[in-house]
Order: sequence, then structure tokens, then C-alpha cells
Amino acid sequence: MNYFNLNKQKLLISFCICIIFSISQAFTNSAVAQTSQNVTVSGIVTDENNVPVMGVNVVAIGEKKACITDSKGFFTIQVAKNRILAFSCLGYKTKELSVTELSSGKVILQEDASLLDELVVVGYGTKRKRDLTGSIASINSKELENSPIKDVMTAMQGKVAGVQILSSDGAPGSSIQIRVRGASSLNSGNTPLYVVDGIPIETTTTSLLNVDDEHGLSPLAFLSPGDIESIEVLKDAASSSIYGSRAANGVVLITTKRGKEGRAKISVNTSYGVSNITRRLSVLNSKQWREFIIEGYRNYDTHMGLTKETAISNTVVDSLCPLNAGDEDWQSLMYNAAYEKQFGINIAGGTKNMRYSLSTSYLDQEGIIRNSKYKRFTSRANTEYDATDYIKVGTNVSYTRSTNDRISAGGMGNRSMVVALLTRPPTYALSYPDGSYLGYLNGKRNPIALAEECLHLNTSNRVNANEYIEISFTDWLKFKSSLSIDFEAMKEDEFFPTTVDYRVGYNTGAVRVAEYFTWANENYFTYNQSFGNHHVGGLLGFSQQEWKTDVTGLNGLTFASDDIRTLNGAGTISGQEVNVAYGHALASFFGRFSYDYKGKYLFEANLRADGSSRFGKNNKFGYFPSASAAWRFSDEKWFKPFKFVNDAKLRLSIGQTGNEAIDNYTSQGTFLTGKNYLTNPGVAPYQMPNADLSWETTTQYNLGLDLSFFYGRLDFIFDAYIKNTSDLLYDVPMPNTTGFASVINNVGEIQNKGLEFSVNTKNFVKEFKWSTNFNISFNSNKVLSLPKNVLVNGYIQNGSFHILKEGEPVGTFFGYKYKGIYAYDTDNANQLKHLTSTGKVFKGGDVIWEDIDKNGYIDQNDRTIIGNAQPLFTGGLTNEFSYKNFSLNLFLQFCYGNDIYNNVDYYRNSIFSYNNVSTEFYYNAWRKQGDITEYPKVVRNDPMQNEARVQSRWVEDGSYLKVKTLTFAYDFPRKMIEKIKLQNLRLYVSGSNLLTFTNYSGYDPDVNTLSSSLRQGVDYGSYPQSRTFMFGLNIGF
Amino acid sequence: MKKINYNIFILGLALLSLSSCVNSLLDKKPISSFSAESFYKNQDQAKAGVYGIYNSLQSTMHTNFSFWGEGRADNVKTKHAGEPTFLLNNTLTASISSADWTNLYTTISRANYAIKNIPGVFSEGDATGNQLVGQAKAIRALSYFYLVRIWGDVPLILEPYTQAGQDIFVSRTNSELVLDQVEADLKFAVVNCVEKFNSTNDRIMFNKGSANALLVQVYMWRKKYTEAIAAADLVISNPLYSLAVDMVAWGKMFSDSYSNESIFEVGYNETQTNGLRVLYAIGSDSHYTPSLNFMASFEAGDLRRAYIYDVTQADPKAIWKYLGKGVSDQIATTSKQNIILIRLADIMMLKAEALNKMGGTTNVTNALKLLEPIRKRAGITPNLLTEAQAISMYGSVENAILHERSIELCYEGHRWFDLVRTGKAISTMGPINGLSNAKNLIWPISTTTIDKNPNITQNEFYR
Repeated sequence: MNYFNLNKQKLLISFCICIIFSISQAFTNSAVAQTSQNVTVSGIVTDENNVPVMGVNVVAIGEKKACITDSKGFFTIQVAKNRILAFSCLGYKTKELSVTELSSGKVILQEDASLLDELVVVGYGTKRKRDLTGSIASINSKELENSPIKDVMTAMQGKVAGVQILSSDGAPGSSIQIRVRGASSLNSGNTPLYVVDGIPIETTTTSLLNVDDEHGLSPLAFLSPGDIESIEVLKDAASSSIYGSRAANGVVLITTKRGKEGRAKISVNTSYGVSNITRRLSVLNSKQWREFIIEGYRNYDTHMGLTKETAISNTVVDSLCPLNAGDEDWQSLMYNAAYEKQFGINIAGGTKNMRYSLSTSYLDQEGIIRNSKYKRFTSRANTEYDATDYIKVGTNVSYTRSTNDRISAGGMGNRSMVVALLTRPPTYALSYPDGSYLGYLNGKRNPIALAEECLHLNTSNRVNANEYIEISFTDWLKFKSSLSIDFEAMKEDEFFPTTVDYRVGYNTGAVRVAEYFTWANENYFTYNQSFGNHHVGGLLGFSQQEWKTDVTGLNGLTFASDDIRTLNGAGTISGQEVNVAYGHALASFFGRFSYDYKGKYLFEANLRADGSSRFGKNNKFGYFPSASAAWRFSDEKWFKPFKFVNDAKLRLSIGQTGNEAIDNYTSQGTFLTGKNYLTNPGVAPYQMPNADLSWETTTQYNLGLDLSFFYGRLDFIFDAYIKNTSDLLYDVPMPNTTGFASVINNVGEIQNKGLEFSVNTKNFVKEFKWSTNFNISFNSNKVLSLPKNVLVNGYIQNGSFHILKEGEPVGTFFGYKYKGIYAYDTDNANQLKHLTSTGKVFKGGDVIWEDIDKNGYIDQNDRTIIGNAQPLFTGGLTNEFSYKNFSLNLFLQFCYGNDIYNNVDYYRNSIFSYNNVSTEFYYNAWRKQGDITEYPKVVRNDPMQNEARVQSRWVEDGSYLKVKTLTFAYDFPRKMIEKIKLQNLRLYVSGSNLLTFTNYSGYDPDVNTLSSSLRQGVDYGSYPQSRTFMFGLNIGF
Repeated sequence: MKKINYNIFILGLALLSLSSCVNSLLDKKPISSFSAESFYKNQDQAKAGVYGIYNSLQSTMHTNFSFWGEGRADNVKTKHAGEPTFLLNNTLTASISSADWTNLYTTISRANYAIKNIPGVFSEGDATGNQLVGQAKAIRALSYFYLVRIWGDVPLILEPYTQAGQDIFVSRTNSELVLDQVEADLKFAVVNCVEKFNSTNDRIMFNKGSANALLVQVYMWRKKYTEAIAAADLVISNPLYSLAVDMVAWGKMFSDSYSNESIFEVGYNETQTNGLRVLYAIGSDSHYTPSLNFMASFEAGDLRRAYIYDVTQADPKAIWKYLGKGVSDQIATTSKQNIILIRLADIMMLKAEALNKMGGTTNVTNALKLLEPIRKRAGITPNLLTEAQAISMYGSVENAILHERSIELCYEGHRWFDLVRTGKAISTMGPINGLSNAKNLIWPISTTTIDKNPNITQNEFYR
């Protein structure tokens, strides 16, 4: 610190930065040193309005010489004649001038409002960030390049305020659930609308053969992250209502990379990685397990008052039988190190009239569960041609092929693996003495055999093509028309060999082929004109889109051999012959009007009219309006004193969006075919028509504040919103005497409200750079009303663990309240009984239940709310450091306040059907009067339902803080690589999911096994998350 | 200002004019199903609609024919916790699956659609249309007959639900009125159904004969003996039906289906399977095995025993009737045998019962004569019981007939209804499970029904 002649303004800036970041600004420039060959250069630096700029760094490139302009913008420096001087200052674009060019002595710096002038993609167009009136979050390619991601959706995790990413599981290529500002629908899906390069794309292409695992495949798998230029999330209704009936869950706009005029730039990216499971859970070895099971038998005898000991099953005690003589650690056998490699190449460039970007990529990723792997090949060509000076034509084409060897990991089906690994008795042999896998024993299938010998292969081919023409009639009026197709052919093959079935010679197979075809045509005029300080914009358009799906499939059983797995080998083609087709269409008119005065007062209004074939005939068109306004109060005169605030804007918006995700033909009523009587083709009524059926309507209010301090060193974005969704589509049950189970109706209301903060700072900007991005969002979800006739006891039960109740959030857990374990029989002073007033009295070692209705016995009326899956807040923190050619990126992600119903814990703490259990249970089980513990006594068959009840003991705090990624990179110096004709060469190592700070006892708190949003937050044994280390190389030619 | 080819402008307008085809774009009819507006528009659809009713009957009878007809009676025993135990121990609750009438009303709903819509696609008085409506009415009658026997008073719904605003919270109708409707429907079927289909359909779809036979069962339930005898005579004289000639044929009647003795059976096949295997023959887990009383009740030399259950074991693990003699759990056969609801032996014995009820020596003698071919086929002597023999062996002729029904029709879903119909349920089951209250003879109404309809209250015994 050798420089102290700062004026007040500079001091203030420095002071504030110091306070906010506790960092002192370092100015390491020296204004001394001179030699005799030098010339003296002096001048005045001003901004575009001829106002002198002080504090400008003037650096002689290649020399250790620099100075800083004074309060009048004046500088003087002595440098060699042929030097170039660089003028840099915060808030201005850096300018480089040679000594000769400086002869006039005048340097004009342009204001660098780059962040604010940055273009943001909005619905049907782009907009300067400074002109936004709605709430839009964006991620650019730079952020994507810095993290070793394999799919687009994980790229958003923790990066965008207001967007919650729920990893359903850690399987390669699996789907991820995204919630923009909370769940606003009960039954119609909470997936946002994805728009790629202006074209809404199909996202319902999930797996067709999900026997036990509820989760499908990632709908955005066809996009290679390397092809992404930017991702924008339209969060409030003002931004998204231009997408009308599909926008209630937010809209995600994805823009792929385009070429720029200039020579071809070739970039090659390649990476290698290895993943391992993040943690293992404790299980018993054979000796411990036998002891514990026998303990369970003896406690059962005592409980039942038997004088004769119950005979213990041979599977437990017969350690000589080769089937029961094992001592296996199933987790070690199943989880292995998984390797992955990724390769991508992109060539982009252009001439005066034409721009292109071509890319191809390959991903080969193994999963940590044996035999699960994912391979993806993508190819993309984006080209644009200026046909005349007013007509542009272009095409974006991509092809993706992926193969996914899948594993049924989650759930409790007899093919599900994760729970099986944790609960399968260690004594069960892995294989027969002859080496072949032991497939089935006592109702349990061998998970290793399931992984190794079963087939569940998903193959997908997807083509996405989009042609457009853009006509500029004048400078202010343009017309664009595009036609796009999105086609995916997906095939799934499944085979279960005889080795895993309990029936002799019984094997099964299935095949499904699905074609998803969508075409869309969008046509719109855009208008933009300035009249002095008045800027007027407009948009008027029409679009139509049609979806068609065709599914064909067969099931087969009793194949002649396990070696022929195609259906021609089946002895019988069974029940589920499938061939169905369905489709739907949307036709829309949309318009926008925008106006601003000097960029100070901004206003925008949107309207979309959506006609959907899904809506009832009395409601064919839905109208979705929005309006928003913004006030850049930093441009007001009275704001002048607050110099350190460069930009300040207040935003306000209101609007309506819809959710049209109703089944295609529900409103028309349905008679189903396939209701056959033997070979006679039958048809039967299935759904009553509902001519009034319509979309779910979401009305959203948004208040936002954007602040930018210290010339872009500190940016702050704040949003508050209230989102009310009414007319929820709900399957309202009908009395069964009608012949129909239910009728879909628009009923009920949900509210989401929340706050979002996002802060970007550039803490150090010199040679050592440090920038920070922090975001946090709070969302609170509440069911406002439900149809009265669907409530039983005031709520709706969803599955085993959840209820839906007015005033409570979606994802509320409901069960018995666990209060500990009776240490002594006498501790149950009130003689609380099991199930009925004449039931058995709870004794020492039984669970102490809360008797909610105080009737002296514990039955289902003693259930209460025991938790909820909604987090209080979620967010992320990214820190990026760089020094010279080294850079380090640290990304932390967090989630706080949500509960997880850990159903895996139930299985791990119950000897039901000879389950293996946790060592915690083994060591801490109640054994004698006076034992103070949290684990009940182990009793075979669990007669007092200490374990089987849905209970608060299995509800855990799901809060976590994760070191999600840490990337360390080195860019080889330009001088060095220029010799080998490279533009850039970057080497990096990266770790993902490195550390997790959590109290959660399962594999990973970032878990959500059941796909329904009504059943959020259950760990049912999902495919575990893994920790990955990667090594990568980026080369630019 | 650039030079613009104004044709481009026209092109733009042309593209925008595409919006004029919006209506046709948005008019999407289902491809793989029918919309409410597009069905019941032609005669093929009318037939498909009727097959759809039988399809629901398949689901209805899948397992419940046995839960309803055998589960609460004395011929079965069970080791299976849950439904079979609840029924057998007379600890029925509103949450057991056999207390749920959903499938029966789904069948009725489909029938109501057919009855309402089929006449519209045929010219008035068209025989094909009438016989289709006849079948629909017969299945509706069958469904209501089960409903009344199981729950007593039940909602009587004769119109399809086609739009919002109809009264969905229906109340219960007196069971006698429901049975009047059952009789009316069956009488319509007797008049309008075909004499015969001339194919195996004669066994699995309603024709005049099967409608008449069902009418016999209904009359017997209502103790209308004269009418029962008249209807039974029409069935017995119907050339479509004859008794299986010997025990081999008797066994095949169940394992192979479509026998000449069969009057109405619910058809199943390899892919449209039923619960017979789970109910009767799935090793140690089978729902039902023969009760000791039942095994002890055979008369000496009864050839049927070896066709009915696994006689190779003292404690049989399987019932062989239906699945076939010697069926093994190790063979993964599908449960595809038809479920016989009405057959000639049943009707003959019902007529015998009716004759006996009418009284008089001739009637009683004729009643016992009706049993003769059945006993003869089973190899029991004497083939023809005298009244004195019947009384000495079983206490009364009625008991003798009921015993014959119990063996001959065992596990076919008749026993419980026979006991209730003849007023012997409490005396028979009381010693076994403590059944003592006449109001306990009907089932509870499922919670799924009560929760969704405030106008339906639980049956008194189960409140």
C-alpha cells in the first residue's frame, strides 16, 4: 500500500468494500522508475460525457510501470516509445492505446455496463438485463464450463435462487426433479416448461418399464452441457405468462451455442473420472446376525408367554448348509468404483454472411452399482445464413443416441436392490458351490444376481431440428417464423432369467418401443422503436404445436433359454400386449407491449391465449395476462448522492399462468378398449366427460429489487413472491355405485410464497481474483383448500407416509409419535395398550407412543403430523479464485429445514422376515429392565408394532451443506502454447460431492425416491449418490 | 430504408393465416380409445359394449365368488391370515376386500350404458339388438342378485352416469324391490336372448337357458317354489344341457370348462386369469383347504373325493377341483379355468329342493329321483334314496339334498348361500365360529363406500 491520495469517493468505495467483504483493496501499482530511452506521456482520461475519470490505472504493457489518474483525470508516465498503455478502471471498459495514438493526450473510456447490458434470453426474444421488469435468473456457459457436469439439470442445482433441484437418485442418466418456486400442483406435474432455442420440447419421455423404481430418465439427456450457451429460468408470471398454459411451473429457456464471424475455433474437451459411494451403512456379520435373530425368537416366546421355545428356522441356525453358510458384506459386493469418460469437440466460426457451430460429444459413464452404465452420443449443427441483407435463415439440428443399462434400485419390490443389500442376511451364500449365483432364497432375491444377470436396457434416439427465417422489414419491424420437429424413438428391453425366480424354469421378458413426435410452428412480429427518450416494443404472434405418441410392446414368459432374451424366444406371450397411440395439440396467440422512458420507467404487458385439445369444450381457450413495471430510481436526481450505487431498480409484476398437464382426452370422457371377454373385443366406460375441465391457474405477484454497487463489484438481486394456484386438477372420488372411481375436476388451492436473495461480488479483481456468488431462497408452501368430499377425518392420505391437509404444506408426514423406550415395565404407569382397549400392555423395551386421543390404547387415531418434506431454505455459494494461470472454483450447496422419512431405516431396524439390521440396533437394543436406550427390544414378528408403525423415529432432519464441487484448473501460458499453435490449453482436476455435512443417517440427504410431488421426501432406498474425482483437459485451436 | 420485396410480407401474412385451422388442430379425438361422444354409435360397438360387461364380471368373480360363496361356510379351512381368516372366524370388518362392492357396481354401470344405448343403434324390435340388451340385463340381474344376498338392501341404479349433475349420493333400496327388478330383467332376457349361440359361447354368455337357470336360483332365494320348478323344467328339458356322463367327464367339467353340464360359467384364459390358483392350490399358502367336517361328510365310496382334493395327504394342501387332479405348485400353470356359476346338477337339485318344499309323497319321491343320476355318477349306493333312507341318514329330505349339494357343488360358491337360504347358517356355523345373529348374515359395507357417500350407513350389526 503505497498509494494514499484517494479522494472521498474512492475512499467511500474502498471503505464499503472493506466493510462488506472484510477485504482491503490492494493497489500494487508503482508510478516510479524511468530510464533515459523513455518518453513522457501525459493526458486526461474522461468518460463519454467528457467528465474526467480519476483512479484509472495506466499500465505500460510489458514494463513494470503504472500510474493512476488524479481527480482531474490527469496522468503522466514515462515509457519506451513503442509501448502500449492500458487504461483500466472499474466500471469502464479497458482501453489499450499505443504511445503514438496518445498524441492528442485525450483518452475517452467507455462505461462498462457489460453486466447490465448483457442480453438475457426471454420468451420470444432477448432483452438487456437492465431492462428486465420480471424475475429471470440466468446461467451462462462460463459457469457451466467450470463444473464437471454431465447433464443440464444438475448444472442448475444450487446456482439459481428460487429453483430447487431434487435429485431423485444417483443413477447415471436418471431424471432430476425441478421445482421453480415450490410445488404448485398436486396431480398435474411440477416440471417447468423447457424451451430449447425457442422451441418448447417434449419432456414426458420417461421410461415405460418401471416395475419397482418410480423414476424415469432425464428428459434433457439429449443436450450435451458443452453445447449450452445459456440457461434462463423465468420465475415470475410477468416473464413466463407469454408461455401461457404451460408456464405455471416456471419456464426454463436453454440456448445452444452459435458461431461468430471469424476463423474457425476448434475446442476439444475431454475428461476422465472415477466415482465411489460416499458412505456405507452398518450391517451385522453372520455371527452377530444369528445371535440377534435368536434373541428375537426368545423375546417372542417371552412376549407370547410360551413355555416351549419356538423352533428356530434352519435358515438361521443351519450353518452347514451351503446356502446359509456365507458371511457376505453385500454392500462391498455391489458397490464398486465407477469410471467415466467424456469427450467433446466443437468447431465454430463464420464468414460475413454465415455462422456455424458444429459439435459432437461422447459420454461413457458407469454407475457405482454393478452393471449400471450410461452412454450418450450427441451431435449438433447450428448454422445461420444471411440470405439477403434483410433475410436470415438458419437451422439447428441435433441428434442424440443414448443407451442406459438400468438397475432397479429403489423401492421395496422384490427386484429392488438397495434395501436388499442392507437387509439381506449375511449368511445367505452369494453363489452355489458350483459358482453359479444363488438366485432366490426364502422370499429374497440375490441382488448381485439381479444386477449381473438381469437386463434392463433403455435405448433412445432423438432428433431435434429447427428451421427458421427472420425478415427485417425495417430497422424496427421484424418477422420470424420457425418450424421444428422433435422426434424420439425409445426402446426398452427387460429380461429376468430363471436364476432369479423362485419358480423352476420361469423367466420373463418385456419389450417396449415408443415414438414421441412433436412439431411446432411459431410465427411472430417484433417491433422496437425509439422516439427520443421513449422506447416502445411489441410482439404479436401465433404458434401451434402438436404431440403424438405411439407405444408398442409385448411381454413374454417361459423362454426356452436364458440365453435368448428377445421375445421370439418366449414360450408364451403374456397379458400386456400394448399398442396405443395418443396425442394432443395447442394453438396459441400471444402478444407483448413494452414501453420505457429513458430506461428509468419501464413497463411491460403480455397476453397469451392458449387453445388446447385437452380442455373441455366449454373452456377451449385460456387467457393468461401479465403486467410488470420497473423503476430505475438510481437515475432519479435525488439519487445522485449515492454514488456508490450504480444501478438500482425496483420491479413489480403480476400475472397469470396455467398448467395444462391434464390427460389428453380426459375432458371428452373415455371408453377404454381392451376390456375384452376372452377373444371377444370389449369396450367399457372409463371416465365421465367433463366439458368444463380446464387448466390450473396460478396467479403470481412479484416484487423485486436489483442493486449494483461499486461499478459492478457487488450485485444484489432480491425477489419476493406470492403464488396462488387455484382450480387444481384433482381426481375427485365418486361413490363406487356410479361405476367410476373418480372424476377429474378443478378444485382446491395451493399457495407458495417466498423470498429470494442473490449476491454476486468481485472481491478481488487484480492479478489475484476472487469472486463470490451466493443465493438463498425461502419458500413456504401451504394447501389452502381441498374438496370437502375427498377428505376422510379432515385429510387425504397419500401412500403410507403422507397426508394432504388444509393449512399444511404438500409433503406432510403423518404417523405415530415415538417418545422413547420404556426402561421398566412399570414405566408404563397408565397401562397404555396396543391397538384396542383389551390389547396387550406395552412393557419395558417397547416404544413409548404418544396417545393423542388419550383413550388408553394406540390405534390409528393416534397418528399425527410428524414432519414435512419442504425445506425452509435452499441455496448455494460459489467462490472462484484465480491467480495468474491458476484458478480454483469451490461450490457449496445447502438445504435446510426439510425432513426425510427414512424408510430404509425402518428396514434396517427391524428383523421382519430375517432382515439384517444396523449395528446400532444390535448393540443398543433394549435387553433387560432398566436399560435406557433408543432402540426397542428385538421381537420376532414385531407383535407390538414397535417397528412397523409409520413413526417419527424414522423422520430425520434432511438439512445439509455439501461441498458439491471443487475444481482446480491451470491454463498454460499463451506464449508457451502458441508455439504449438494452440489458443488455449487448460488442465483441471475436479471433485464432486466431496463432503456432506448432515445429521441424516442414510446414504445421502439429497434423496427423493418417490416421484410424485405428493409423496416428496421419502428415502426408499434410492440409487446412492457418489463422490467423483475427475481429470480433464480443454484444448482450443 | 432497405429495399423490401413485399412478397415476403405476404408470406408472413400467409403464415399467420395458418391460425385459421386452429379448430381442426384442436379437435383431437382419442386414437386408442373412444370418447364419450364417439361410442355406442354402431352395431359392432354395441357388441363390444356387451363384451365389456362380461369383462367386468371376470374381475368381479375373480376371487370373490369363493370369498362370498364359500368363505363363511363350513366346507373350507384356512391357514391364511387376513381375508380368509376374517371370513371363517366371522370377524368381518368394513375394510376386508369382499365387503367392497365396487366391481359389482362397475358391472352394473357398464350394463346400464349398454341397456340405454344399444336400442339406439338398432332399428326398433331388432332381434340382435334385443338379445344384446337381454344379455346386459341378465348380467345386471346376476350382479344385483349377488348384491342383495351379500349386503341386503342396496342402491338400485338402472341409468348410466354420463355427466356431472346426476345424483351420485344414492340411498339404499329395499332388497325385495331390487329382487323384483332382478326378476324383471331376467324375464326380459328369457324372452329376448338367443336360444343358443351354437358355440362355446353358450356356456359363457347369457342365452335363454342360462337366463332361466339364473331365474331358478333367484326364485329359490325368494322361496317362490312353483315358479322355480317351472323355470327349472325349462332348463332341464333344454337340449343344450346334459349331465357329465362319468367321473372323468365330471373332473374335466372344471379343469377343461365348456362342458355340456355347464349352464353359465365366467370365461377365463391364459391371459385373463382368475384367483382359483391362489384360492385353492398354491402349496402351503393356498387360501383354502378342505375342512375336516367336509372330508368326513362323504358317503362311503364317493368317487368325487379324489377329484375334489389332494387325497394323497392326510392334511391336504390343495383343492384339486378346477385346477385338476394332481395339480402341483411346482408347475407354473396359469389360473385359467372358467368359474362355473350355474350348472345342470345345481338346477336339478334346486328343483328337488323346491319339490320337497311343496311337499306330498309324489313331490318328495320326484325330488329324490332328481338326485339319483348325480349319486349314481359319483358311485354312491344306493343311487336312489328313499325318503326313509334320506331321513335316517340326514334327518330330513331337505338335509339330504343340501348334503348332496354340499359335496357335488363344493367350492363352486354355493355353500354359504345355501345355508342362508335354507335358514341353516346359524345352526351350522354357530358351533364353528360363534355365528349367532341373523343380522350378521349379511356383510358389512366397505369403508370405501361409506366414506364416499354420506347417504349410505353401515349395516346394523357392524356399526
